[in-house]
Amino acid sequence: MREEDILIGALLEDACLTLEELSRACAVPPDWVIERVREGLLPAPGEPSSAWRFGSRDLARVRQIVRIERDFDAVPELAALVADLFEELDDLRARLRRAGLD
Amino acid sequence: MEFKDYYRTLGVARDATADDIKKAFRKLARKYHPDLSKEPGAEARMKEVNEAYAVLSDPEKRAAYDALGRGYRPGQEFRPPPDWDANFEFSGPGFGAEAADFSDFFAELFGRMGGRPREGGFGRREARGEDHHAKVLLDIEDAWRGTTRQISLRVPRMDASGRAVLDTRTLDVRIPKGVREGQLIRLAGQGSPGLGGGPPGDLLLEVHFSPHPRYQANGRDLLVDLPVAPWEAALGSVIPVPLPDGSLLKVRIPAGAQSGRQLVVHGKGIPGNPPGDLELTVRVVLPPADTARAKELYETMARELKFDPRAASGS
Repeated sequence: MREEDILIGALLEDACLTLEELSRACAVPPDWVIERVREGLLPAPGEPSSAWRFGSRDLARVRQIVRIERDFDAVPELAALVADLFEELDDLRARLRRAGLD
Repeated sequence: MEFKDYYRTLGVARDATADDIKKAFRKLARKYHPDLSKEPGAEARMKEVNEAYAVLSDPEKRAAYDALGRGYRPGQEFRPPPDWDANFEFSGPGFGAEAADFSDFFAELFGRMGGRPREGGFGRREARGEDHHAKVLLDIEDAWRGTTRQISLRVPRMDASGRAVLDTRTLDVRIPKGVREGQLIRLAGQGSPGLGGGPPGDLLLEVHFSPHPRYQANGRDLLVDLPVAPWEAALGSVIPVPLPDGSLLKVRIPAGAQSGRQLVVHGKGIPGNPPGDLELTVRVVLPPADTARAKELYETMARELKFDPRAASGS
């Protein structure tokens, strides 16, 4: 493997994705995200929307909500509720793992 | 290439209505949901179900698939006749990033969708390629020192005739040190190619750590179980703790540390800006009373310490 063939990955820190980058990464229009932020279904990153920044966890949440809405024709509130439950499940699983109980 | 029976994948009859297909898909999407399912191979099954649904839920793709698939059995060797799709006008959203998860069979059948410029149109609009997502599994040691990982991906590409084909690409990716569980790594320009001269999308890698017998991570904090002898805990001691980079960190255990006590060494977790903490959980391990001498020592303690571990609980 030649040194120049190696791609250098950039670590995305928390609160680093703009609204446009987040929407693009989730293949949804920016208005889709704005609507759900205004409804309180996604974390409200302050105002104006041009200054919004999202992190890795937000991206995972948005992708999950997109899938649930699409696969089950779910209303956004229900999809967000399911995403909340999955986040809770992830946290509990991580705690079990840390306690050596999984 | 093997013929895929999408009707069988979804468990529906060939004359199923759109509603039947949607119902069958939802039932399977729930059964094989990657975050929940305990079924073996759930993720692979979900990809097959998604692929079958992408075809059967789209009237144009379904009609083309039905016309082509007549007489084929699942698993039978399959080769579509040249220009078989000439009579079909696909107007769907094209060959998106999701299709990268689909089979070669799907790519062969529907590769032309969205890729062929429409006659009489105004030419294709410039559009940025879609972002792709992949997971990368690292060891905690890799977060400490950074690493290089080989990642294989399937990426749609337009061939000379304007047909989308799925390429398997292998990338060598350098992962910087200080990476956390769940964090994203962006590889600019490594997603789907753009259309009409637009820029390519990015590849976003989501980091996961494989389970480690000694270490756990919580963000950049490193959690370590610290086994100690009863006298080390009772009298206090300095204990060398091996870190994932192979070095030893000397940690002072205060006298009287009980099992379960947590000790935090700031800034000694996973490196970064700021670095995480090292969180040690003391675990007192009893030496076995398996020799006459060991038994005698325990008996001496019992006699002379007058210690009742249940005194505080009143039991």
